[in-house]
Amino acid sequence: MIHRREALAFLGGAAAMWPLAARAQRAVPVIGFLSSAAREAFERFLAGYRGGLAEAGFAEGRNVGVEFRWADGHYDRLPALAAELVRLKVDLILASGGAPPALAAKAATSTIPIVFTAIADPREGGLVASLNRPGGNLTGITILAVELDSKRLELLCALAPAARVVAALANPNRSDFEKQTRDVQSTAVALGRELVILRAGNEREIDAAFAKLSERGAGALVVLADPYFTSRREQIVARAAHHGVPAIYQWREFALAGGLMSYGPSIVDAYRQAGIYTGRILKGEKPADLPVLQSAKFEMVVNLKTAKAIGLAIPESILVRADEVIE
Amino acid sequence: MSARKEIGSTPGAPGTLAAASARPRRPLFRKYFIALFVAVVVPLLANGASEAWFGYRDHRALLDVRLRVEAAAAAGKIQGFLDGIKDQMQWAVQLPWTDGGIERHRFDALRVLRQVPAIVDLTLIDGAGIERLQISRVGRDVIGSGVDRSNDPAVAGARKSRIWYGPVTLNRGSEPYMTMAVAGNRAAVGVALAQINLKLIWDVISAIRVGETGAAFVVDRTGRLVAHPNISLVLQGADDAASARFKALQAAALAAGGTAVTTSDAENRTVLAAAAPIAGADWMVFAEQPVSEAYGPIRAAFWRTGILVLAGAAFAAILAFVLARRMAGPIRLLERGVERIGAGQFDHRIHISTGDELERLAARVNQMAGELALSQERSERIGRLKRFLSPQVAELVERAGKEDLLGGQRAEVVVIFCDLRGFTAFSGKAEPEEIMRVLGEYYEALGAIIMRYEATLTHFSGDGLMVLLNAPVPCADNPAIRAVRMAGDMQAAVQALIVGWRARGHALGFGVGLAKGAATVGRIGYEGRQDYTAIGRVANLASRLCSSADDKQILIDASAAAEVSETVPLTAVGTRELKGFAESVSVYAVAKIAPT
Repeated sequence: MIHRREALAFLGGAAAMWPLAARAQRAVPVIGFLSSAAREAFERFLAGYRGGLAEAGFAEGRNVGVEFRWADGHYDRLPALAAELVRLKVDLILASGGAPPALAAKAATSTIPIVFTAIADPREGGLVASLNRPGGNLTGITILAVELDSKRLELLCALAPAARVVAALANPNRSDFEKQTRDVQSTAVALGRELVILRAGNEREIDAAFAKLSERGAGALVVLADPYFTSRREQIVARAAHHGVPAIYQWREFALAGGLMSYGPSIVDAYRQAGIYTGRILKGEKPADLPVLQSAKFEMVVNLKTAKAIGLAIPESILVRADEVIE
Repeated sequence: MSARKEIGSTPGAPGTLAAASARPRRPLFRKYFIALFVAVVVPLLANGASEAWFGYRDHRALLDVRLRVEAAAAAGKIQGFLDGIKDQMQWAVQLPWTDGGIERHRFDALRVLRQVPAIVDLTLIDGAGIERLQISRVGRDVIGSGVDRSNDPAVAGARKSRIWYGPVTLNRGSEPYMTMAVAGNRAAVGVALAQINLKLIWDVISAIRVGETGAAFVVDRTGRLVAHPNISLVLQGADDAASARFKALQAAALAAGGTAVTTSDAENRTVLAAAAPIAGADWMVFAEQPVSEAYGPIRAAFWRTGILVLAGAAFAAILAFVLARRMAGPIRLLERGVERIGAGQFDHRIHISTGDELERLAARVNQMAGELALSQERSERIGRLKRFLSPQVAELVERAGKEDLLGGQRAEVVVIFCDLRGFTAFSGKAEPEEIMRVLGEYYEALGAIIMRYEATLTHFSGDGLMVLLNAPVPCADNPAIRAVRMAGDMQAAVQALIVGWRARGHALGFGVGLAKGAATVGRIGYEGRQDYTAIGRVANLASRLCSSADDKQILIDASAAAEVSETVPLTAVGTRELKGFAESVSVYAVAKIAPT
């Protein structure tokens, strides 16, 4: 960790020393890729993004360059990373993973186009004026993320009807942490369940959260929407399996990694759309003219292998809705 | 003598020749060229233009039909999308609502949701209009809310006509949504109500291609864009500037009554658009194609026609050039030929083998040149003969083609000699001008007479003159009588002149000698200078008689006298000793001759 940070600082400093020269020399546009998450778990989404770029006629290394800046879940680092990309005079900033990177990028520049992806409601925090006419130098993809936490809790209760106590894994670093947990809490009350909020903002805290889950005797787990959790999905899925607790997650990728069930829009598709928008803007379209895209397709994935491993029978009402069943 | 020039070598008047050889004001070649070129190019142009015009009209009509067909096909696909949703929704309205049957209905609804991604949520209402179940993709499912929806227009509409389409609304100000309600085949099964996210029509609409770059799009009854391959245009939604265009287009399409209208698309390209209605939802589907592409084939045809016309014109120009040259060429050849023949080159021949009238004309001109050459030759010959023959005799000799008459032969001839008395003395003292003047008058008078009597002038030198009769052409009448009469005329004419001369102080007289007999006659001389003469005793005799004759006297020999004695009064002057004659010669003088 220390090493990487030093390396980043070095890179940033070095880049800051010759941004003008670099800009003058480069023949291809450069995308500044600003992410709140960590690189490790991101390849699938990056593939989606590159697919979208390819649809728009761009290929990394051939006619477009990409500068990556990862916050590794440390949202407080985002403003510095955004400022660094602005200093590098990138042609476009791709703000990936929730509102914080987009807000950091918006604060850093009002001229460089910013494409955000996977933000629940970009109107909150004043990112855009409206979805149909974003207005400023930002546009991007909005997906239903936090909004589906309650739906996921509902599905979880259908999945584990016997679990009276249900746990929710939440990231306290989020600015909307309070609202997010409050909404889920009220849904749990409506469903007649007791909800335990497990706070985790880093690897160590995730392990600690699962320890607390066992302690509180929770029979099921809903992992609330958060990009950091997405990047730590291997760890989370492994901990859930270890504790034998039925869990529901945001993205298909969790189920593919061994999570019991996921329900949400396609995050890969959201990145693909972001790639297309990036291409269109690099070709000269203005972010202000590109409406914010809403993800409209939802996918429900059920991992029967995991269900079998924890000895859970999936009810028919869930299976009938599943778009994909991993056997 | 040299005054008689050869007529054949006389060049034409230089002035007229220069005028004839000057460049014509409107040359034939140019006239033919223009006429032929125009004759080919004008029909070609007319054909090209009419083809282009009718081609354009046909293509426009064809485009209209094709775009309408495309629009109808696209409308069919959109209708298919809506019908697909309706068919799936039918599954949720097949079982009647009984008290314990909620779970079956829930499964039906879940399956519909599973099958139709565009449905955001699905509400089931029982036969009494009570809401029994709501399944959502986003919100929480609601079972048995018990809300009375019987007065909902969607429910009422579906009950009335089995299917009901709601107005298009915008979710979060951007995504187009629509409510669809489907009723079962009987009241007891209730009504299914679905929120449809119309953004998912994109899969259908973006797959529709009109031509290469054309597209189809859908607007609702208010002119709001429902579906478009460029999803950004749809998501810009309620924005007035964006939707005004589609409202205007919808109005224009309705006014056009189905034919294609010209408008401009989002990228400001000029497009042709035709509309087709979707009855149930009351939408309109437009098929549009950029004009640049739509008219691509006809533009290519225009180019083809243009190139063909140009190539045709070039071909016509070459053809006209060749034909005009073929026509004007022989005429120019004729002109040049006639010019040369006119300049006396009678051996020049014009070679034209066009097989037409021009060739015939050239043959005529050649024939004419040949005849001209012949006639020149003849007139040259006559000219030569006229040096020593009277014109009549010369003509006769020439016409008879008997130039061999001029060859040497023996002939019975009458030779007349005459000269002036006292000429030697006169010429010694008189001025040259006066001498020439006297000789001029003298020969002019004698020449006329010689010509009249068709006599043959053999030679003259100074004042002396020798004339033959009966050679080379025999006289029709008695040559002796003719000769005597001619001598009489000569004497009379010269005596008349002598009166004038004497008045000027010149003591001149005139004497004539005449003899008849056989002589050798023929041409003597060398190439280019030949005379006809008579050689023999008779010639000498005549000469001597002339010498011995006094002024006003005509002396003739005995043989001539024998011939004329009955016609002309003669006076025997006795015998005379003549130089060159051994014996004396009887000489007679012509007394007086009545003028003829």
